[in-house]
Amino acid sequence: MGDNNSPPGSSKEADHDSDANALVKDDSSLETIVRKFQDSMSVGKRHAFWETQPVGQFKDLGDVSLPEGPIEPPTPLSEVKQEPYNLPSQYEWTTCDLDSEETCTEVYNLLKNNYVEDDENMFRFNYSKEFLRWALHPPGYYRSWHIGVRAKTNKKLVAFITGVPARIRVRDVIVKMAEINFLCVHKKLRSKRLAPVMIKEVTRRVHLENIWQAAYTAGVVLPTPITTCQYWHRSLNPKKLIDVGFSRLGARMTMSRTIKLYKLPDSPATPGFRKMELHDVPAVTRLLRNYLSQFIVAPDFDENDVEHWLLPEENVVDSYLVESPETHEITDFCSFYTLPSSILGNQNYSILKAAYSYYNVSTKTPLLQLMNDALIVAKQKDFDVFNALDVMQNESFLKELKFGPGDGQLHYYLYNYRMRNALKPAELGLVLL
Amino acid sequence: MGGDWQQLLQSVVLGLIFSYLLAKLIAIVVSFKDDNLIITRASTAAAPAEPKPDDPARSAESGALVHEADSVVAEHGSVRNDSAGSEAGSDDDWEGVESTELDEIFSAATAFVAAAAADRTKVSTEAQLQLYGLYKIATEGPCSVPQPSALKMTARAKWQAWQKLGAMPPEDAMEKYIDIVSELYPTWTDGLIVKSKGGDGSSVGNDSKGPMGPVFSTFVYEEGSGNDFKMDAIHAFAREGEVDNLLKCIDSGVSVDAKDSEGRTPLHWAVDRGHLNMAEMLVSRNADVNAKDNEGQTALHYAAVCEREGIAEYLVKKNADTNVKDNDGNSPSDLCESKWPWLQHAKE
Repeated sequence: MGDNNSPPGSSKEADHDSDANALVKDDSSLETIVRKFQDSMSVGKRHAFWETQPVGQFKDLGDVSLPEGPIEPPTPLSEVKQEPYNLPSQYEWTTCDLDSEETCTEVYNLLKNNYVEDDENMFRFNYSKEFLRWALHPPGYYRSWHIGVRAKTNKKLVAFITGVPARIRVRDVIVKMAEINFLCVHKKLRSKRLAPVMIKEVTRRVHLENIWQAAYTAGVVLPTPITTCQYWHRSLNPKKLIDVGFSRLGARMTMSRTIKLYKLPDSPATPGFRKMELHDVPAVTRLLRNYLSQFIVAPDFDENDVEHWLLPEENVVDSYLVESPETHEITDFCSFYTLPSSILGNQNYSILKAAYSYYNVSTKTPLLQLMNDALIVAKQKDFDVFNALDVMQNESFLKELKFGPGDGQLHYYLYNYRMRNALKPAELGLVLL
Repeated sequence: MGGDWQQLLQSVVLGLIFSYLLAKLIAIVVSFKDDNLIITRASTAAAPAEPKPDDPARSAESGALVHEADSVVAEHGSVRNDSAGSEAGSDDDWEGVESTELDEIFSAATAFVAAAAADRTKVSTEAQLQLYGLYKIATEGPCSVPQPSALKMTARAKWQAWQKLGAMPPEDAMEKYIDIVSELYPTWTDGLIVKSKGGDGSSVGNDSKGPMGPVFSTFVYEEGSGNDFKMDAIHAFAREGEVDNLLKCIDSGVSVDAKDSEGRTPLHWAVDRGHLNMAEMLVSRNADVNAKDNEGQTALHYAAVCEREGIAEYLVKKNADTNVKDNDGNSPSDLCESKWPWLQHAKE
């Protein structure tokens, strides 16, 4: 793991600078990206952990001489550390079996009380147990990648991190990766710096399965994002969103007009728009594979994956498609997942019900109309807000369908895989939960 | 890793030689005038600090202190400063020895003590020595260095303070240290909170954004456009529910039914924002419950759209017209998602 940033050929360090300068002159967007990174890193702030990891480093940004692909070659499995990393003495590793109701409840509670919040600490994600089982049990999952940390004394679950296997295509290479998610450390233990050792432990267990790459997201800038996406929000229940502080009512705007603005028809407009069913899996897989092939980084879904990730499951994932009334051909598809959040400290409401845009494909129905129908069914299902990233072709409908920009940026990362250039959000075909 | 050790060893050896020479010199030259313990800066370098990552600001602060290291307590600062150089994030720092909350409070306490020493706050020699001993236990463990010669009284006093604590566990030493600091400076944590709030993100209690994972995003606040929009103070008071200010407006002669550029009266605004008490006050001041805005909507339309049941019920009681149509031909109940029987009935 030591020095991983100097593959053969990087000896001409001096040249890089001039190359980079030349590039910056030509490419003002690169310049802004570089500046953005520098701004977001406070002076002197170093990523002591990430600088030791095989990830794209800031200093290599825009260096086109470095090859795209794995940063470190796989090591023989026999050389992978066999024992878990050391935890502080009061804690021990545990593997979490989400099929056990008891364990699942423990994980659920840990996340419910300690996972991600908004900047103002008004909301905290409240992933449901069914959602967690769905997210962590895709085809071919490894139980050993569902890692918990317990306090030795009382066996309380105090930290959690997970990986699930995925085949992700980067340009024309399909790479077996782990999608790392649900890193959560109990609020009382935040200063113990458990996160780095947890990341290393999940990495070790991923390596033990002969997998050497990973994909993950973060709200913070680490070395180095492959792209930075922006969240957009579409109010479905504006009054509640305003009451709970998710959105604000401008001084010159009336509630009455706001409610009218976001009003949606009672039922979808597209003929043949219906819920996806099991027998649609082959058709949806074809549609989706074809659609995702246009993006630079996207999952490589087969029918098993589609059945798992996209077949509707109550309160977890919803998928709709358009079946042509004449030909019965499946022409379009849209989906969103259900991620509620706890509303912290509001007397009237305790849960914010949010739908998150997942994978959408349009071939016959205009994407705008398809997504408007998705909004309509989400409203019918009593969601308060519909969220979407500006990935894939989403930008084409966001403004027109009255999505407003969010304050959240989501950075995407690959572990041990270098991308020569950062992607535009629209070049990314991957949604992580 | 190897480099770090070499560096550390080197600095320890050099420091020892240097301190020995300097201490000797000082032992000869300096006599103890009063109870003030004078510690040479050199002894600082002799202390092989167990480095803990520190934020640059604090290191800088303690760096400045080195120049006036004239008390026992100030030494802590400089020890910390020495450690900053060898901090380089090697892999092993992360394993098993993660800093705890106690660590953080302790290091904040040492920084505070160093700063307080710079201010020359009066602290008894006894307390200073106690802090010194605890500090050494917390950072280095039990005393295992040989007793300094009887000539070096300061060094000897310090050594004794350390040595007499025996094999006290480091955590206990940190806690005791914090207790003493809290006793000496009851308000020392006040500054700490401010500091960690504006801190570099690795301090206590930040972390709405985790190191990894999804992001919780909310709407960016955008003031709606509409530059030709105009409203008066009375509308703003109605909107904000400021009854007293609104009364003043009325008493100073502003019409209770004054319209903004969209034709809305204060009653429209009060109902829109859900201020029942304001609505009641306006109606009691003879506001027109059936006043229409430019779209032909009354306050009852607003109450229906915004589902403000209590207010709607009140307006109906005050003879608001339930059959009135707006410019689109909708009555209040046409616009209401919930079906309120008293509004429905009225419609029939």
